[in-house]
Amino acid sequence: MPPRLCSLCNDARAILKRPKTGQQICKECFFWVFETEVHSTITEAQLFKPGDRVAIGASGGKDSTVLAHVMKTLNDRYQYGLELFLLSIDEGITGYRDDSLETVKRNQQQYGMPLKILSYDELYGWTMDAIVSQIGKKNNCTFCGVFRRQALDRGAASLHVDHIVTGHNADDIAETVLMNIMRGDIARLGRCTLICTQGEDTIRRSKPFKYAYEKEIVMYAYFKKLDYFSTECIYSPDAYRGHARAFLKDLEAARPSVIIDIIHSGETFEVKEEVKATQKAQQTCKRCGYMSSNELCKACTLLEGLERGMATAAITERARKKLDAEGPALESIRTIPFFQQSPEAHSTDAPKPPT
Amino acid sequence: MSCGNPTAAEGETLMPRRKKYDKTKYCLRCKETLGNIVIRHAVYCKDCFFPLITHKFRRALEPSVNSKPDVSRRTALRPDGNLLVGFSGGLGSTVLLDLVHRCYVSMDESTMPADGGKQHPRHEKVWKRVTVCYVEICDAFPGMRDRTSYVRQLAAKHEGIDFLPLRIQDAFDPEWWETVHAPRDAPGLAVNMSSEELRLSSLASSSSSSSSSSSTPLQALHTYFSSLPTATAVPTTIETLIRLLLLHTALRTGSSHLVLGTSLTSLAVSLISGVSQGRGYNLKEEMQEEWVPDAEDTSVYRAPSHQAKDKKVAANGPRKKYVRVVRPLRDVGRKECALWAWWRDADVVGNERWPWSGAKQDIGALTREFITGLEKDYPSTVSAIVRTCTKVEPKGQPAGLCVMCARPVQEGIREWKSRISIRSRNDSQDIPPSTSASLTPCLCYACHTTMTSRSSRPAPALGLMASDRPTVPLPMWVGSGVPLPTRMSEQRMRDAVHEFMLDDVTDT
Repeated sequence: MPPRLCSLCNDARAILKRPKTGQQICKECFFWVFETEVHSTITEAQLFKPGDRVAIGASGGKDSTVLAHVMKTLNDRYQYGLELFLLSIDEGITGYRDDSLETVKRNQQQYGMPLKILSYDELYGWTMDAIVSQIGKKNNCTFCGVFRRQALDRGAASLHVDHIVTGHNADDIAETVLMNIMRGDIARLGRCTLICTQGEDTIRRSKPFKYAYEKEIVMYAYFKKLDYFSTECIYSPDAYRGHARAFLKDLEAARPSVIIDIIHSGETFEVKEEVKATQKAQQTCKRCGYMSSNELCKACTLLEGLERGMATAAITERARKKLDAEGPALESIRTIPFFQQSPEAHSTDAPKPPT
Repeated sequence: MSCGNPTAAEGETLMPRRKKYDKTKYCLRCKETLGNIVIRHAVYCKDCFFPLITHKFRRALEPSVNSKPDVSRRTALRPDGNLLVGFSGGLGSTVLLDLVHRCYVSMDESTMPADGGKQHPRHEKVWKRVTVCYVEICDAFPGMRDRTSYVRQLAAKHEGIDFLPLRIQDAFDPEWWETVHAPRDAPGLAVNMSSEELRLSSLASSSSSSSSSSSTPLQALHTYFSSLPTATAVPTTIETLIRLLLLHTALRTGSSHLVLGTSLTSLAVSLISGVSQGRGYNLKEEMQEEWVPDAEDTSVYRAPSHQAKDKKVAANGPRKKYVRVVRPLRDVGRKECALWAWWRDADVVGNERWPWSGAKQDIGALTREFITGLEKDYPSTVSAIVRTCTKVEPKGQPAGLCVMCARPVQEGIREWKSRISIRSRNDSQDIPPSTSASLTPCLCYACHTTMTSRSSRPAPALGLMASDRPTVPLPMWVGSGVPLPTRMSEQRMRDAVHEFMLDDVTDT
């Protein structure tokens, strides 16, 4: 039986079946189609303009390792004119993050990109090891998620970048759409399929892998011989997300297009205007100056709970009331450092932490 | 990117179980009797349970009975037509049939609201004629039982309700089509399912070129099912066929309303399953929809032989043709439905398991299993899903109705698909010229995906005779919805340029 030819070039021998389309294609066509799809995602959404300083959120895992490689490739091939940086957050999880940061440091050498590593310890005065030792494994993902988001924004501001790109892939987004519907999180449901969101201080956040299948990212890393760390976080008890992920895998086995179909669904609806009107307006955190929907931002609330020995204060209403009943926080409570993106532009209007 | 761990099952990682009831064991309504059922942490006794469910049923149905949905509920209910009850034999539709019969046919006093007195307009009969329609699917697969006669017996227990059985292959039957619509040359269409473009051809020409393997509606159905690319496409297609058969039957019976027995639980399942199949644009329709047939379909034909009652409806004069699909049990969970059926001693036919091997590869079945399991640990899941979906709306204006499922279609689907998944190195091949006869532009995202999206697994083995024909016959309603290039008649040409004609030219 003659070897099957690639269904894209009809020339080379097909060596893989594309998870996204089921087409049997050759290695070169796979690289081409993967990179071209990411390129068309970037150009369709007009994510960048020449001269932009872009930080790649790099964890050392498969998504960010491939993202760094693809961003470098596309920037060179299509002359985006971007200045690329690597930005890593060290959560302070012994045996998990320290190994994967080694991958990021190698990427720094390979691609010649400046690297900034910002640690939870430096920013919040707490490592995840210390947080888990106080609160246990339950709910620790709440702390880590909120802290990481703010840390990325603050790290990006310290690098004076315009844009952060993260390695969220199509599977992550599909999973998030399902979870937000099932949890009734209408605010996140409205924005989780957006390719670009506005972060702190006019720094935009984008997901160029929004339509890239996780399996294809792994396939790309495999054929390009990119090394990455695949360790699961040792504190990962987000049972709800775990359920959603297992469900999505079952659905994908039934029909691989389900991931794209869910994202398409998420893109076709929007939150009703009358519901939007009931959502809280965005304001600025009184303590650290970060964007917030309450007087204190989520990170400051979580941090205050940790500092005062009531870590659940930002998680349950009851604990919050108890904390409030004990009186206001001491003035000496830790303030999260606020990095200004552009000292000239923000010297007069940047909110300052209370003294 | 996330750090979720699906295998984590340590005690501290799970949400702590709450007590089944919050405060007291006594009924929340009457506060006197020990409770018999806990509905999401609230306790009710048996006596209070029935009015509670009846109230939820009426609250979900009655605001949409009058043609203007916002009319005050204190006024009389005057629907524009009759009522059609879609009956599957499952728990939800059994409870629905019982409630419809008690509330609107036998006028059971216990189901009437206490306020307003016995002379209140709501004590009058609302629907002139109530029909139960059952669509039998046993012919779709070998080895399934025909339950029509059993369902007929069940329906007969509900005095005053007509019974109208259909078979799933009616969707491909020109004779059935003619009982609904005026006899006309509905173009029978066939489609080539081997490509994304779904090339169309005339059924007459494609059958003459090969053996007459699809000469009967049942054979057409089998050909259609055995040509579907995935196992999950089969149940999705069955659902669509049943829904459209019911909609057209509603037209046939002069019904302005079609009620379905979708419970809160099954609504949550169908919403998540719909999202998973790319039906996000139609979430609103999944909960409640109003189907207005195309202009051509307004000439609904009522065969003279089809019962005298039809004539009576026709004699009421023409009404605006629409069918409002309502799910009156959308606030009632599956547990409450089960208890209603148990306490009312209602016979539930039940849903028969499909005998084919692809049942585990069914997105709908997987979703049902998942939601049911999730509800045990997170009891508010189903209501959260439904509540969330009521807070979103489709983006932008629809570009028409899908010819397959009759639901609104979003614009730019083909462009989106070809951009997200590149399937060719030649840009010009991605979207072929629009002049070619293709079904794709007339389909919504979900229907197109159902007909074209493939799996790495082999196509389902349905135990049906595989067809050797390259083209597959389409359901009857598709033929009337696809705009095919036709030779323009002189009259139509004249109509098109009428306003530019001078009088003397027009007259000649």
